[in-house]
Amino acid sequence: MKRVVHWWTEERRAYLLLVLPAVAVYWAVMAFPTVFSFILSLTNYNGGPIFNNPNIQLVGFTHYVRMLNDPYFWISLKNNGLIMAVSVFGQIPLGFLFAYVIHRKLVKFGDFFQTIIYLPCVISTIIVGRLWQSFFSPYGPFTEFMQKLQPGWENELFFDPHLAILPVLFVILWMYTGTYMIIFLANLQKIDPALIEAARIDGATEWQVLVRIMLPALSGVIVTACILAISGSLKSFDLLYAMTGGNPARRTSVLALYMYDNAFRHSPKYPLANAISVFMVLLSFVLILMVRFTEAKFGGRE
Amino acid sequence: MLKKSTLMLLVLLLVASVFVPATFAEEPVKITVLNYFDLTSPGAERELNEVWYEFSIRNPHIIVEREDLFLEPFHQKTEAYAAADRLPDVIYMWPGGRSTSLHTLGLVKDLRPLLGDDAQYYQEAVLAPQAGGYLAELPQTMTSSHALYVNLSLLDSLGLSMPTTYEELVAMVPVLQANGLDTILMGAQDDWVIQSCLFSMIVGRLVGDDKLNEILAGEAKFTDPEFVGALEFYAQMYEDGVLHRKIMQTSYAEVNGLFATGRAPFLVDGDWKVSNFLTDQTTGEALIPVDKQDEFAMTIFPAVPGEINHASSSGVVGVGFGMSSKLEAGSAKEAAAWELIKWLQGPEVQKMRLETAGTIPSRVDVVSDQLEPLVIERIRYYEDILVTTEVLDNIFEGEVYTPINIGLQEIGLGFATPMEVAERTQEAFDDWFARQ
Repeated sequence: MKRVVHWWTEERRAYLLLVLPAVAVYWAVMAFPTVFSFILSLTNYNGGPIFNNPNIQLVGFTHYVRMLNDPYFWISLKNNGLIMAVSVFGQIPLGFLFAYVIHRKLVKFGDFFQTIIYLPCVISTIIVGRLWQSFFSPYGPFTEFMQKLQPGWENELFFDPHLAILPVLFVILWMYTGTYMIIFLANLQKIDPALIEAARIDGATEWQVLVRIMLPALSGVIVTACILAISGSLKSFDLLYAMTGGNPARRTSVLALYMYDNAFRHSPKYPLANAISVFMVLLSFVLILMVRFTEAKFGGRE
Repeated sequence: MLKKSTLMLLVLLLVASVFVPATFAEEPVKITVLNYFDLTSPGAERELNEVWYEFSIRNPHIIVEREDLFLEPFHQKTEAYAAADRLPDVIYMWPGGRSTSLHTLGLVKDLRPLLGDDAQYYQEAVLAPQAGGYLAELPQTMTSSHALYVNLSLLDSLGLSMPTTYEELVAMVPVLQANGLDTILMGAQDDWVIQSCLFSMIVGRLVGDDKLNEILAGEAKFTDPEFVGALEFYAQMYEDGVLHRKIMQTSYAEVNGLFATGRAPFLVDGDWKVSNFLTDQTTGEALIPVDKQDEFAMTIFPAVPGEINHASSSGVVGVGFGMSSKLEAGSAKEAAAWELIKWLQGPEVQKMRLETAGTIPSRVDVVSDQLEPLVIERIRYYEDILVTTEVLDNIFEGEVYTPINIGLQEIGLGFATPMEVAERTQEAFDDWFARQ
């Protein structure tokens, strides 16, 4: 007798019912735009209707070649790399350090410092950008302060192509370190104080408590923080846009600004802009996989 | 019986009073508008009340759905609308430049047939064909993209006078430097500023429109000695100390306060900049108060060595409003959109713009007796201009002038030579030209 396999079981129906909405939303807002962006990057689309437009043709990877041959692409990529370095090796260690100092009560007025360090995160990025743009302006307070220290000092921070990004990196460090401090602080509070107390009774130093207990316990959080930092670095746009607009001469541009320039400034080059966005998606995948790999290989156990 | 007939009459009158006005009243028409509007500008409140609110009072059957944006967000939204083929019914536009694709792709209508006999109220020059070869927007003004703003009292206090030649300007530099002042201020952090407000004028003086048209036709090149010479003169301005690299670290808004407070005797910008110095009607405050405005002047850059056009400035017909080509000819929507465009360039609105922003009217029938001294100075400034030449971003496509915009900053910073910038521009032009 042939057995009838019932795939449309109640369990499967329940499973589909629960999963389908999430899949639909994910497809609509994440997967579809990415795939569509990739398809557009292979065409010569230049505005107007997208569907049933006889002028749209596939042109292969022309726009990717054009992107790779553009010196401003490499300047933007380098700046993204610098922002990422500052985020991963600046914001995260500093955020952890501040969280640790406050959590272990190594300074007085911990709540005050916590508020001060977190404050920049709650101010609008555009306001922060404008504020620091005025601060670093050749006619701004920074210049005046430096001229008090060294009469005749000229503010040429933005004129050296290698230094132009430095003020921006400083602001990024100032602005986002508080976020990581809060993340670490919340997770440090989850560690059983008895564990630390026991270690101290057994003669462990503060350093040993930090390295042997705290850091291994937070390795998962550190990975999450790294992923946040990397994705945040790649989508850097608003601060740069408000502070420098990617100038002078595109020397403070980043990939998102470079994409914006090609999509919306002057004559729009949508396929090239889509090629840049596809590159950014691929780059974030690669970087996040690298972080995952590093955590799996060297990370501790929570 | 009498009572019955009276009652019937009353009922009829009542019914008629309800239905007749509805029958004869105009059907409401809704139109969408994308407006370029700086809500922080001194004349913003008057613009809202006297332009948009007044239009809705005068035309109750037209419902205007307006979207106000300014600077980059405006351009970004325009491109997005154009790309999606969903342009608003009425849109703020330039005669070329950033609006070139709207013209050349035919996304907006030719307004000349709608204008008809009303053309007599406009200066002939403003109705000339625009980037797409037709009248895509009805200009509200003529615009000079180059103006030299002068702080006369600052010059006086230093014992200096208005320079008539570039050499005289260069001779002032040591005096100004000794007093801790810059020579020329520019808010050139955005890369369009140098090209539009300074370099287009230099090209007009040293290269001329004929040569530009030859380049546009593919019969001459950006690498020819004339254009490279213009770039070299611009580079020389840094070496002479007339320009300082600081201009590229100064934002477009920051420079207003710097000039008003006397950080340099000269400011180079477009003639529209004057509106930032006028009195804000809501607060009664001005960056340059009315009683000080006589101490400031507007003119053009002094004579440049080797110039072929004397006393020239770069200019275009001004901005205005265009109409989406999707509006059906003869439809109620088209009529409503045209009513709005006519109103926006009507005598009342142009008078208001003249008083609040010093915008030179494109109409011939606009007069006002409420002008601040700097507005009168802006009108007088046009007497200094003997020749008006092209603005580069008005004559060339974006992908051609972008290398110039970036290249001018690179020359100033010493990252590129004039010839390198000329070669890059020619390369971009060749790419564009090959696709035409």
